[in-house]
Amino acid sequence: MKDLNQYRDVWVFVEIKDHVMVHPCALEILGKARELADDLNQNLVAIMLALDAEQYLPVIKEHGVDKIIYLSHLDLKHYHERIFTKIVYKLVKKYKPSIFLFPSTEAGNALSARVAYRCRTGLVNNVLNLELDTERGDLLLTDKPAYGGDIKVKIICPNTRPQMCTITPGTFKKKPVKKSNIELIKEEYSFDKDKLKIKIIGAPTRKDKPSATLSDAKFVIGGGAGLVSEENFNKIFKLAKYTNGQVGGTRRPIFNEWMPEHLQIGISGETIKPNLYLAFGISGAIQHVAGITDSDTIMAVNTDPNAPIFRAADYCIIGDANEIIDGLVKYYKIEE
Amino acid sequence: MYKIFVLLKQVPKSQNLQIDKNSGTLIRKNIETIINPDDLNGLELGLTIKEQYGGEVTAISMGPLQAKAALREALAMGVDHAILICDPQFAHSDTLQTTLVLKETFNKIKEYDIIITGRETSDSSTGQVPFQLSEALDIPLITDIFSFELENNIFLCQRNFGHESQNIKVNLPVLIRIGKHFNEPRHIPLLGIKKAFDKKIEIFNYECFDCPEYIDGCNKSPTQVVSIEKFYPKRKNEFLNGTITDKTQEVIEIMKDHGIERIYTGKEE
Repeated sequence: MKDLNQYRDVWVFVEIKDHVMVHPCALEILGKARELADDLNQNLVAIMLALDAEQYLPVIKEHGVDKIIYLSHLDLKHYHERIFTKIVYKLVKKYKPSIFLFPSTEAGNALSARVAYRCRTGLVNNVLNLELDTERGDLLLTDKPAYGGDIKVKIICPNTRPQMCTITPGTFKKKPVKKSNIELIKEEYSFDKDKLKIKIIGAPTRKDKPSATLSDAKFVIGGGAGLVSEENFNKIFKLAKYTNGQVGGTRRPIFNEWMPEHLQIGISGETIKPNLYLAFGISGAIQHVAGITDSDTIMAVNTDPNAPIFRAADYCIIGDANEIIDGLVKYYKIEE
Repeated sequence: MYKIFVLLKQVPKSQNLQIDKNSGTLIRKNIETIINPDDLNGLELGLTIKEQYGGEVTAISMGPLQAKAALREALAMGVDHAILICDPQFAHSDTLQTTLVLKETFNKIKEYDIIITGRETSDSSTGQVPFQLSEALDIPLITDIFSFELENNIFLCQRNFGHESQNIKVNLPVLIRIGKHFNEPRHIPLLGIKKAFDKKIEIFNYECFDCPEYIDGCNKSPTQVVSIEKFYPKRKNEFLNGTITDKTQEVIEIMKDHGIERIYTGKEE
């Protein structure tokens, strides 16, 4: 067994979002990681790979780091699986961190899984909380939802290092604090691009994902298979317009092309946290329910008295969602 | 003849899982199981490739003997072969151990062109295996494809990557991770059910592999579960009664309580 004591420090992968800004989630993680580093009496280290990386240093310095290890090169403008994996794995081997945290983003999830494999260590994704297990020699104790949020599991990684996690955006709060004497380490970049197996043909087209307003919405109206038709589904868009709400839904309305894909709520879509969520004709599969549990109040309408959505709701109405929607549209509509 | 492999997992269907208070583990007895939803999209893609370009589709699952039921369902959908990776030595594998076992499996299979996985499983929701298997087999992983073609052992596709939409070209073998929205899984044809029971499910156990001693799900998984608890949503679960008009009025009251008012002042189109 490796000598685990030679692994020290808490690392955070500071992702650069769309090559223009430090990902807010990385700053949130730094806030929590600062606490862990203080408790362990170890350094908090930011790891950053970017084009013109120096421009991001001032922001990172404001968030409690003791050290920043970074690389700057044109090849690092976008996340690249082969390049980033190789570099980050090399850094881990060289500096031996004890804890390594990543934002749970497209790049963060991919990179952390690949690096964990190369290190033959454990990775816990989408943790809800991080603490130190003092009874087990300051191991990192993580809380993770499983079974679509139905079950909470506590996981440790006792015998391998680094102890790795990904963290969903919004889990922790930023805690701006500036340490004195922040150490900057710039590593040299090198990578043989001839070895790349995936060839990009032609110029890629920019495809911005629609900015998600769902996750910040205060009032969300959700629709599911129970709305039966596109005509009925359009009524919740109308209702949202009259009431300044946002529409979201389950998987079925996307298949039926009643709403675009980016409006999906749930594990593979958006997590919402509105003051009020109205769930119309949604049965409440765990994949969906996992994305709504942070809502303040949930109200559900469904014809099936045994629909699981009722277990997740504060107010439950057994009945045809379409009839209720008609009533609401009639009420909220401006009289002509 | 493309050699296509689809990875699938059997997962609990239940939305009301119970924990054994004494052992602190999930009660697995009498749990209804299904094929992990994402993996159905994987099976559909595998079968589509076979129909369009020719080949053989093999479904692979890792789990207890009960997971044969999931493979039986895949056979009924139309896959040609099924392999169950099953051994007490593989029990309690975390993602790293699972990846190492899959690596052994594909080393034994030797010839593979396309391996398809879902995005994540609905039980543990880690989503790590596709990336780790790409590392383990040293083959490229393509995620988020929205169209593809196969030509002389070259996989051409369009995929979303970051905020770009790219046309890419990659030599086989390739690993494809498929999301829920790419296709709609087919229904099982009646004839398929009959055929499924005529086919044999091959078992790969520990002895089948030149297994290095690092494979041991129980003792060598780097992550260890300390405790598991039910996550109870704290909700009122209050049922509202009365006529539809009464119920609608109640919804309006609740909306008002949450500060939601009519805001649209323009004319109705």
